[in-house]
Amino acid sequence: MTTAHEEHGVEHDLGHHGSPFVQHHYDDAQHQFDSGKFGIWLFLAQEVLFFSALFVQYVLYRVHHSEIFNYAHKWLDVKFGATNTAVLIFSSLTAAWAVRCAQRNQRRGLIACIVITLLCACTFLGIKYLEYSHKVHEHILFGRYFDPCISPGNAELLTQNNECPGTKSTIDWDYGSEKAKTGCFEESKIDVDPNQPGVQADCAVAEITREKKTIEDQKTHKEVETWVEKSRRVIAARCPEPHLPEAGVAEHEQFPCWRPAYQPVVCPDLTDAEARRHGTAGRPQDGILVEYGDSAERGEDIVIDATCKAPAPATAQSIELLASNNGEHDLKEGQGAIHPIHIATEEDEFERASLGPPPEHTGMFLTIYFAMTGLHGIHVLFGIFVFTWLLMRSIKGHFTPEYFGPVDYAALYWHIVDIIWIFLFPLLYLIH
Amino acid sequence: MADHAHDHDDHELAHVATLKTLLATGTTLLLLTLLTVAATKVDFGTNINLAVALVIAVVKATLVVLFFMHLRYDRLFHSVVFVSALLAASLFVGFTLMDSSQYQDTNIWNPSTPPAAPVGPRPVNG
Repeated sequence: MTTAHEEHGVEHDLGHHGSPFVQHHYDDAQHQFDSGKFGIWLFLAQEVLFFSALFVQYVLYRVHHSEIFNYAHKWLDVKFGATNTAVLIFSSLTAAWAVRCAQRNQRRGLIACIVITLLCACTFLGIKYLEYSHKVHEHILFGRYFDPCISPGNAELLTQNNECPGTKSTIDWDYGSEKAKTGCFEESKIDVDPNQPGVQADCAVAEITREKKTIEDQKTHKEVETWVEKSRRVIAARCPEPHLPEAGVAEHEQFPCWRPAYQPVVCPDLTDAEARRHGTAGRPQDGILVEYGDSAERGEDIVIDATCKAPAPATAQSIELLASNNGEHDLKEGQGAIHPIHIATEEDEFERASLGPPPEHTGMFLTIYFAMTGLHGIHVLFGIFVFTWLLMRSIKGHFTPEYFGPVDYAALYWHIVDIIWIFLFPLLYLIH
Repeated sequence: MADHAHDHDDHELAHVATLKTLLATGTTLLLLTLLTVAATKVDFGTNINLAVALVIAVVKATLVVLFFMHLRYDRLFHSVVFVSALLAASLFVGFTLMDSSQYQDTNIWNPSTPPAAPVGPRPVNG
């Protein structure tokens, strides 16, 4: 054996194997290739275990909180996910093809395959960038940064910090005239009656009044200004007992403006916690009463009480009529019709689910989403570096049928990245 | 087939996949992607929809492993390494599922509503 080894060693020194990259400490090119291949398979096994931790987290959460997944997956766009799947599969094909080209000593083909693989990898990350940036824009983020501006059905949500771009959720207060210029409840479809969800009317804010309490610890003018700026960002909603319209009582002036079934997350008292947990949240409970300011700190409140002008008073009679009309809009005049513009159907109820506020702990879906796709994305990024390196070496003509290990190993790595995405795609994007 | 014969004559370091295999695998994978998207449009019920999606994903992954990753033509030992990693991963998931109903409900700390004090005798120190 010793003699054999020595002989091989001499051969290596003479470059007998044709490739200068076959190292001295291997018997021959085959030995070097096999060692590398064994190494990469061990690495891939480790990758499977590495990702399995995240899959355990996913499975555990999905089993316990399927309502979160059913709600939040609608934030993800299947078109993006499917395109990325196709792009990765195609790049897997070109990566496998690259190995074949290297084995057959086709340098041009090898370079072409590596370039296509690289372009696909960049496309994948480009699409991922589009997805991520949209989520950053709308605050659909992980952990405590989860404060979505919109629901999956693109309904505007009132957020904790109220910093959403283009949102109407800020009451623009005109301090000169002591009146609100615009408000978050300016115009919305609003349930006319909490007992008749789906009977909706366009409701416009008629009046916003500001109730100013004595400012006890007012120090300097500047400080108050600062506080005003700060308080405008802090919104909490306070919702007292429902005020039900009584039959036959005209309430033209002060008809309570029922908020949409989707209550903002910042108003936990509005909805039954258990109902929110199961995604069936949101019987409207009250007219609009928004309380501004960090009153706990300052010992003062500014209450903005917005009342809405309903089209006409609802009476028990008219509501009954609506129900008996079974969704048809041809209410006769003079029967106390409240001009409903829309009566909810079952489909609407289904849509409404994606318009509602997130169930509790929905942020966990985004945490899982970002953890899994993020770690996967880092792998894609690393793949780009590796394939760039392979591209440079293949241009230099380093790879021959005697020495193509690096191409093969990188392709294997690329395939495992593809496989992980093959699972992530249905698990995150295709929840039914 | 001429290609194939040539491959063997050359005494390759590893199996060379035929172009036909690669293209067929790639096409099948893309078609299965379309299928899995189409399957979500049909309502079979949450569990069956999930099962269909997972079965398709497993088939796709198997195709990648067998043909793109050459495992079908590779050394048995590499299959052993890879499959044992998969077994370990499924053990993790399986064991987590087995006792997951024993967990307390998700409790995210909220200072304004601290969880109830534990019931039972105070533990004896020392």
